[in-house]
Amino acid sequence: MTDVDVVGLGVWSESFSNWEEFCHVLSGGSAETGRTLKPQAIAPNERRRAPLSVKMAVEVMDQACRMAALEPATVATVFASALGDMHLTEYMCRTMADAPQAISPTRFHNSVHNAATGYWSIATQSHCPSSAVSGYSNSVSMAILDGAIQAVEEQIPVLVTVQEVATAPAFKSVYEWTQPFSAAMLLSPVGMCSSNIASLRLNASSNLVEPPQLEDIPGIDLSGNPAARLLPLLIAIAEQRNADVQLPLSRGSSLAISIDVGCQARQSES
Amino acid sequence: MRLAIGAYTATSAAGVGLQALRDSIDNRQSGLRRNDLQNCDIDTWIGRVDGVEDVSLPSHLDHLFSRNNQLAWFGLQQDGLLQSIAQLADRVGPDRVGVIMGTSTSSIGRTEEAFTCLLPSGQIAEEFQQQEVHSLHSPGFFVAEATGLTGPAITISTACSSSAKVFASAYRWINHGLVDAVLVGGVDSLCMSILYGFHSLELVSPELCRPFDRRRNGINIGEGCGYALVAREDLLPDAQFALLGYGESVDAYHMSHPHPQGEGAVIAMDRALERSKLTADSIDYVNLHGTASQANDRTEAHALARRFTDKTLVSSTKAWTGHALGAAGILEAIITLEAMRSGINPGTLNCGQPDPELAFPVLTDNVSQPVRFGMTNSFGFGGNNASLIFGQMND
Repeated sequence: MTDVDVVGLGVWSESFSNWEEFCHVLSGGSAETGRTLKPQAIAPNERRRAPLSVKMAVEVMDQACRMAALEPATVATVFASALGDMHLTEYMCRTMADAPQAISPTRFHNSVHNAATGYWSIATQSHCPSSAVSGYSNSVSMAILDGAIQAVEEQIPVLVTVQEVATAPAFKSVYEWTQPFSAAMLLSPVGMCSSNIASLRLNASSNLVEPPQLEDIPGIDLSGNPAARLLPLLIAIAEQRNADVQLPLSRGSSLAISIDVGCQARQSES
Repeated sequence: MRLAIGAYTATSAAGVGLQALRDSIDNRQSGLRRNDLQNCDIDTWIGRVDGVEDVSLPSHLDHLFSRNNQLAWFGLQQDGLLQSIAQLADRVGPDRVGVIMGTSTSSIGRTEEAFTCLLPSGQIAEEFQQQEVHSLHSPGFFVAEATGLTGPAITISTACSSSAKVFASAYRWINHGLVDAVLVGGVDSLCMSILYGFHSLELVSPELCRPFDRRRNGINIGEGCGYALVAREDLLPDAQFALLGYGESVDAYHMSHPHPQGEGAVIAMDRALERSKLTADSIDYVNLHGTASQANDRTEAHALARRFTDKTLVSSTKAWTGHALGAAGILEAIITLEAMRSGINPGTLNCGQPDPELAFPVLTDNVSQPVRFGMTNSFGFGGNNASLIFGQMND
């Protein structure tokens, strides 16, 4: 069993670009769409070099740290994505098939799975531990579990970021999702930070569970997007209701997550 | 907590299985060869594992076919590892054993192949529509399926520190009680995008790589695979070695250049020493990242000089294996364990003229001297660093 506080949140998709807009969309409102993603956390020269996948991640990481009012250089990071930057993969594989000598060195070094956390660390001057992981369709559950355990074992806030870009053209015969999504959840050891938004209790077990059915969010279709498995948690927190969510972890294990939004009550008890 | 290290095995250009690796180290025999990869005209040397392309996967794993998974399967067959895994899983239950793999490029070689024969629509053809294989989690998924281990499974991909970091996550998972044991590993295989990518960064040497030599002019890329079964001490009473500490950090400097003063490297080594409750002087041997790139060797020597004295022997073994990228961490962890087992500290191969400009001297010939505490460094793109410290279990 693992207990952590959620102290900051960040979200981005084509239909909402921050937590406030996400809550607004959930309650039936609409948000301005089609805006260019310009994460302020990275300097303009780095932003020019950074691919969309990096911008999506850095944007939500910055949002989560701001919400928590935590200095970014004091938090460890875990970035998770099933496929990484599929558009860069497509670019590289196409280049290998057509004219391999033409590969761009910048796009090559941007293709590492830890590109987003690399750019983030440069922008925030953080030397804290930083990981980039994948659990394919279980990337969300594995990243929350791995990040929460790190928070507890190392007594450090851990910024867990999950994201999946839109399926790149050549991969449309393999993967079904069409829209990009990224979200960040800043997990902190219980009681370490003053501003907790919710508490999570995680229980890993060998129970087998089906992935949850995603609730429809007006104006956006995130079905099939592996990162969208975080949505049941985000929606519960946005709607200020306690919830239990079960997610598969691996072929023979699953994660039960209890979300408690009554943080004030818990704090006053302790 | 000390994390007990049970069975382990390594497969690289320097040998398939531990005995072949030992022979290569003892005989100072490099596994590197002139680049003979098909369709790749880069003038360089590579560390290729013989026979990977002939490895056939069991039929229930056929849908996960890729060179990287062939190599992962090849590696699993060595040194009785599968039997050791099965014995431990029998005792604690397969759901109490996690899988943590490290990789840099996963099965991208298979994706590259898919792009040579796309459908007229421009999409990936049926033969290559392998959902898990194009994922970064391809190795973790494959190894879980291949071993029958059903605990939590994840793949870490932080470039060249990937399979060093698997030990840090395993330590936390076990200390936390999530699982009783973890199969950690790393696998990366030769592919076009890695060779041409590093070539575009002007990091690939046309000659045999020369770590820490004044004539060094770049890296040789290799492939490899390694595994270690790690667990709580009470579950592995025969274990000879333990992970005492790990340190993770980032440079916060540049995506593909290390910090000039080795800032992140020093932080990683300090964190590993702190967790192990050891001083730098008590470390007998350090297996370096030592890629033979100008920048890596200069900054790593800088970082070493800030902490170590000549009491500690240090060397790079990249000229045996090539730089196996995401598999380098575990391969070099195993080479460190082997030095602790045999007392043979491998002297840097191909370093005939040690660079006098470098801030720390490396061992250039094999030296027989007991290794009580061994350390290994792994540094990757994105400035991602990891250091590991191992000790003798009966210490």
